[in-house]
Amino acid sequence: MLSLNEARTYFERYQDLIPDFEGFLAHLKEPLPLYFRINELKCPRPQIVLDGLARQGVKAEPVPGFPGFYRAEPRDFPLGSTEEYYLGYIYPMTISSALPVFALEPEPGEYILDMCAAPGSKTTQIAQASQDRAIIVANDRRLDRLTALVANLKRLGVACVMTTLYRGEQFPFGVPFDKVLVDAPCSGEGRYRQGYEGELLYQKEGHTNLPAIQKGLLVRAFDLVKVGGVVVYSTCTFNPEENELVVDYLLRKRQAEVIPCDYPLPHHPGVTEWEGKILHPSLNYAARFYPHETNSVGFFVIKLRRLA
Amino acid sequence: MAKKRRKKIHKDAKWPRVVSFEERDEVLSFWEERFGIPKNVFEGYLILSTSKNYWLFAAPEEIKPFQMLKVQTVGLLFTRRVSHWLKPTSTALQRFGHHATKNIVVLSPAELDRLRRERKMPFIVEHIEEGYVILKCGEKIWGCGLYAKGSLISFLP
Repeated sequence: MLSLNEARTYFERYQDLIPDFEGFLAHLKEPLPLYFRINELKCPRPQIVLDGLARQGVKAEPVPGFPGFYRAEPRDFPLGSTEEYYLGYIYPMTISSALPVFALEPEPGEYILDMCAAPGSKTTQIAQASQDRAIIVANDRRLDRLTALVANLKRLGVACVMTTLYRGEQFPFGVPFDKVLVDAPCSGEGRYRQGYEGELLYQKEGHTNLPAIQKGLLVRAFDLVKVGGVVVYSTCTFNPEENELVVDYLLRKRQAEVIPCDYPLPHHPGVTEWEGKILHPSLNYAARFYPHETNSVGFFVIKLRRLA
Repeated sequence: MAKKRRKKIHKDAKWPRVVSFEERDEVLSFWEERFGIPKNVFEGYLILSTSKNYWLFAAPEEIKPFQMLKVQTVGLLFTRRVSHWLKPTSTALQRFGHHATKNIVVLSPAELDRLRRERKMPFIVEHIEEGYVILKCGEKIWGCGLYAKGSLISFLP
């Protein structure tokens, strides 16, 4: 595991990419704030949750620009053991992780594939956004992770989701999807900060070729969506090789266009050049989010439309 | 707080069957007669069936393409067939129970605590028919209980 004093060396390659690099490094010493989303499919009134949590000493403030999202204090409070959680009234989720679904703009009746869905924060967010009326296929390649997803669907009382266990890059053709979300497995650099318990996959598993996996997933997602349909690709990493270069690969192989999006958090355009390689100019419509500017996890989000 | 229990899902689950109009009406009539929840609350949802379980699933325009997929689960576990009876699931009651007008047992926090701990407790209440009931505490619907012979039994997970 990467220790905090190694962070400078690790992230050095992004020094020209990350705005206010020193501010970024300093911010990594702060723990991640605690956020949750209210599930209006089950919770009759948000105030019930807020009052219930207040009785347990938790102060929750709405997050501007994020309807239904709250920031909770103290940030180490175990939300997962509250009755509000048990009853499916809340889903703990960091705010930047909500952005891919904002870009997806789910509507009732749409056929939507969530290709790497477990444990289901975005699947359930899509379900809520469509008032439980989109037809969602939530896929994950691992049974243990899918089991966690199924538990979350049940907890939140979602009825518009079916779950499947395919390798994303081999997901079968046949359903004319309106939209596909590829929240790809990634090195997770955007999540890294003090107290982070996970590992940076890119560094740890030298044998895992993440960009190759991500390209396979994105191309399949594009081929699964109907012409005119939308693919949203996202990761929680800074690495252009897992972000812009993956999308650049798709733009060279398929007829797709990048669609600009508005987001309620500060963001920066995608890179159009990396380590001497010139990338597709429309990649500047991608959005990069950094932890020190968003007080959340670092993210990359891009919205694409299938042209042919 | 209850321990988190996660049921294993079958690796080779089959696509559930879409029920006939008659079977759908039987299930929805149960919800209407028992709890006063009108059938139109479930408009736009299909009812699917696996051996003894009924699932609620948002109805796609055309279901055929989805039936080509090898699925693990489809929709929300809604109602179970227990011998000759239909039993609502707690999760479905938590979701749709606020439409109910009858057979709702309102518990105090202390009563709810005891019921969750002991699973069964002596209980006498008026205006409730024997059978499955909705367990409610304050504004929160907790799920399914059984009221019979002066007792209340918890089916909360």
